[in-house]
Amino acid sequence: MMTDTSDMSAAEAGAEAGTPYREKSAWVAVAGMVVGYGGYFAVIATLPPQIIGGDPPGMVLKLFALLTVATIVRLLIMGAGTLAIRASSPADARAPADERDRAIAGRSAAIAYYVMMTGMVLVGMVMPFTARGWAITNAALFAIVVAELARYGTIIAAYRRGWHG
Amino acid sequence: MAKLPIANNIRTLRFMAGEMTQADLGTRIGMTRQTIAAIEAGKYSPTLEAAFRIAQVFGKTLDEVFQWEG
Repeated sequence: MMTDTSDMSAAEAGAEAGTPYREKSAWVAVAGMVVGYGGYFAVIATLPPQIIGGDPPGMVLKLFALLTVATIVRLLIMGAGTLAIRASSPADARAPADERDRAIAGRSAAIAYYVMMTGMVLVGMVMPFTARGWAITNAALFAIVVAELARYGTIIAAYRRGWHG
Repeated sequence: MAKLPIANNIRTLRFMAGEMTQADLGTRIGMTRQTIAAIEAGKYSPTLEAAFRIAQVFGKTLDEVFQWEG
């Protein structure tokens, strides 16, 4: 006689499986984004408005250097994290994406697209009337970071909550 | 999370197939073991093609593996 899985808890069914490799990768990416670009925007937030809202001499190189450091920190965290999760579950890392992985990737990219579009509309069509200089550049970068966080957040939520669209 | 309206007997069928693991079943139908676990837990409804592949592994018809509960 067959028994139905409705009698079985999700924890019991998932006991053999563990956390999906792609969810772990998303957590690593979130950590890299938050530490790297969180640090960048924390520094930016402390700058005086006349600097961030204008274009003082030498600022291009300073902000570019700061952004480069933030990107390197992000890449280091992602590289080390990816190596660690590959070492802990090499078979999962080698497995190709299946239909659920592709559905989650598609849904997360679709959500991130709308976040990015909203950000770009605000940056490109609204901010020029209210701000200038580096404020616009940093707002565009912030929109990209938020869109990426939305993508990784959706991936994590989908794997943990069974939300695939 | 709202419960999906499709129940299944995959856990039982794996047991009856000599304690086949989720990884074994996943390998045979081209899915990860985490996806098999999600299907068993009712967190993911497979595509029709994947559902037929799962039924084929156990030598069952589709409605012997999956049941509509909507």
